[in-house]
Amino acid sequence: MTTTDELSVISQIRGEVKGNRVPTGENLFLAWGYPTAFFLLVEFFALILWDKIWCSWIWLGIPLVGTPLMVYFLNEDYERTHRRTLDQNVILQMWIFVGFLSCLGGVTMGFAGVFPMLYCTFQGLLVSFGCLMTGLILHFRPKTVCGIFGSALSFVSLFFQGDLWPWQLLVAVLVTILTLIIPGHLFRHYVRMERKLASL
Amino acid sequence: MSHFKFPVINPLLHSDLRLKIMVALDSLESADFMYLCQITDSTRGNLSIQITTLKDAGYLDVSKSGIGRFSRTVCRITRKGREALHAYEDGLRKMFEEEIPQKDNLIINKTQEL
Repeated sequence: MTTTDELSVISQIRGEVKGNRVPTGENLFLAWGYPTAFFLLVEFFALILWDKIWCSWIWLGIPLVGTPLMVYFLNEDYERTHRRTLDQNVILQMWIFVGFLSCLGGVTMGFAGVFPMLYCTFQGLLVSFGCLMTGLILHFRPKTVCGIFGSALSFVSLFFQGDLWPWQLLVAVLVTILTLIIPGHLFRHYVRMERKLASL
Repeated sequence: MSHFKFPVINPLLHSDLRLKIMVALDSLESADFMYLCQITDSTRGNLSIQITTLKDAGYLDVSKSGIGRFSRTVCRITRKGREALHAYEDGLRKMFEEEIPQKDNLIINKTQEL
């Protein structure tokens, strides 16, 4: 091969790899969104009905259900596309960090006794930040916009303090719908359209 | 007379298929055997041999995992591999840039002769 041939091979392969970038991970947002909304609602009703201290730990069901679902969908994506791009890896690492911080924050605040005051705001801000960053990395505007509105909405939960604190959980459910479920469905639709166009 | 010193060409990357594998993995976080087979347009046997060569040189990190009855081979480029590829590409570009002025001079000389 001549120098020109080798350089053209390099640019051709780079072009093919970068050109063939139908986004993946369309189910991941929903895999986290629905369990989060479900467990937060269960926690809200449990606290309203029984008002027991153990009810405030129901949120631990979110990572217990979300993590296996995430692993399952990640494997499914890999089986279909046979590759993981650098962008996908950045987004995945970021969400793992967001999830880790969210769990660590929940446990720490639970033991420190400040869970009812701060947790919903903290978790809402983290998830909104993740949503915003994902939107920016993927150039998917609905996620960016939902991330901005979600972070603003997270602060609303600060108004529910004292005996009203379970209502913070309802605000957290709204934040989840705004930052995970709605953009998740929009992204799913977008990915399916892109995949259909790519297969034509 | 030009005193252009040709860069040392890495013999491991001076092969069509090995270069394709490295370039594809440079733009990705990881890719499995099937994807590399498709993007490099090569046979499984040949690809397997070249991946082993690159792995032995420390340019690739290869991991195998079993999914049901099948096994999946996932390849990632290592830091050493990335550095080698970028050095190789820089060398090629330098050679290419040196070739073009020489060709231009040749054309100018020929037109002057005419």
